[in-house]
Amino acid sequence: MPSEPLLEVHDLHYAYLGRFPALAGVSLTVEAGEKLALLGANGCGKSTLLKVLDGLLFPDAGTYRAFGAEITETGLEDEQRNRGFRSRIGFIFQNSDAQVFSPTVREEVAFGPLTMGLDAAEVEARVHDTLAMLNIAPLAERAPYQLSGGEKKRVAIASVLAMNPEVLLFDEPTAALDPRTQGWLIELIVELNAAGKTIVLATHDLDTLPLLADRAVVFGEDHRLAATGPPDELLADHDLLLITNLALRRR
Amino acid sequence: MTATLPPAAPVPTARWLLEPQVGLCACAPSGRRRKGTYVTRTIDAAAGVVRAALFAEDAAAQPGLLQRLDARVKLVTLLGLLVAVSLVQQIPVLVVAYAATLVLAVLSKLPLGAFVRRVWLAIPLFTGIVVLPATLNLITKGHVVVPLGSWFGHRVGMTAPGLTGAARIVLRVATSVSVAVLLTTTTRWTRLLAALRALLVPRMFVLVLGVAYRYLFHLLGSVTDMYEARRARTVGAEDGRSGRAFVAASAGALFGKSHQLAEEVHQAMVARGYVGDARTLSAFRLRALDVAWIAVAVVAAGALVGLDRGL
Repeated sequence: MPSEPLLEVHDLHYAYLGRFPALAGVSLTVEAGEKLALLGANGCGKSTLLKVLDGLLFPDAGTYRAFGAEITETGLEDEQRNRGFRSRIGFIFQNSDAQVFSPTVREEVAFGPLTMGLDAAEVEARVHDTLAMLNIAPLAERAPYQLSGGEKKRVAIASVLAMNPEVLLFDEPTAALDPRTQGWLIELIVELNAAGKTIVLATHDLDTLPLLADRAVVFGEDHRLAATGPPDELLADHDLLLITNLALRRR
Repeated sequence: MTATLPPAAPVPTARWLLEPQVGLCACAPSGRRRKGTYVTRTIDAAAGVVRAALFAEDAAAQPGLLQRLDARVKLVTLLGLLVAVSLVQQIPVLVVAYAATLVLAVLSKLPLGAFVRRVWLAIPLFTGIVVLPATLNLITKGHVVVPLGSWFGHRVGMTAPGLTGAARIVLRVATSVSVAVLLTTTTRWTRLLAALRALLVPRMFVLVLGVAYRYLFHLLGSVTDMYEARRARTVGAEDGRSGRAFVAASAGALFGKSHQLAEEVHQAMVARGYVGDARTLSAFRLRALDVAWIAVAVVAAGALVGLDRGL
């Protein structure tokens, strides 16, 4: 009997304020250990799907199963289930300003491990290791408003890695980063995946796609999935990229 | 949000956009100058808040006496001194207490001029205005020492008991504010929040304070960006009315932005396991200096009250 996918959504529908559709019947599976990219133009529903996968938004219709159990709003109200789910899946937001909310970098990185209920010594050790690994130890006592965009992104990633989740969700990871920081982040994602982490990322950056994903799904502007397959095959399909607003029409 | 515009048929670029335009006045200056409106000054004041915060951060990083104390010890002892000051009635004792705050500022390597200005330029002056009517013989009876004239046939002036009472209040406020400034400028904001937790201030209250302080800078940045974007597109002088309209419109836009940000921040917290009970990294370490300081503070508070009762 084939094993169940790590994450599975079926016929998801979601509309903001009940009026603006973001997902209109999306079905998708994520296998353990894969790097999956969600491709699509602005506003097609990629970020919404990531928030559903992270249990932050709940679909108007359709189902979401993660780690063998259905994820619902009432289900996550159970403390033990909530703690189990949150510790296994981490989300790096596109807007680092929203994610970096603690008074100092050290406290930011400690926030997740502390909510997991780890003891103080282990939290300290994890914070120390994560800051060193991401090369932000000198920023430990700095306030987030004193950081540059790239530094904030590193802190946001550190704050999630310190929880050591199995699945990492990235929303537009390379957006608005300078080339060196982009290169560093791509290497980090590849390394984390090689270490067994499952990666799901939303992007419309086609240049970095082959490095970042083994498989990609393409969202249409109708908020449904238009195609799925290996990045190279999808990038070669110029008509698909045109229809989904991921490429410019050649003049 | 995800509302997507329907694909539109290509529209040719407007002709006027493709033609060069003569600059409105890329010539010599006219000699007419216009000072910034109150909107400009308000936006500049926003930058001042950031400068003040950076000043406090720098001061907290100095190797001074108060900076070396544990934040919880400092908070509790300075609160104790505040209570002692509020019990003092005699003006000479209040003067001694105020002088002691100046000594502490020097020992904590705070720039004395800036420290004194910070205290005297704002709050005690306002307090002085509030207590001013109480100095008049219409309210506080007594010997008039500063005659001011007559009002409906009555002689009006400042009385000795009125002036004494006003001086007592202003000095007490100045000393209390000095103590508060000493606390806030020699303690990093994060340590202060941790100290509040140690004093059993509700966790949620401390968390809200921390997040509010954090996002104050973000919102100030948004205000500055919005204003600069407008200034970059404003050709010619700007009048007060349009400035006020801008403030009203930007307040609405800022409210929308802050609401959206608040929602995202909450989601980011929930994503990392937050269920309404925040924990912080903090270790309480009582060192010899802290113990010595506690002793000094207790003796000082006792001496202030004792001296006051003895005079």
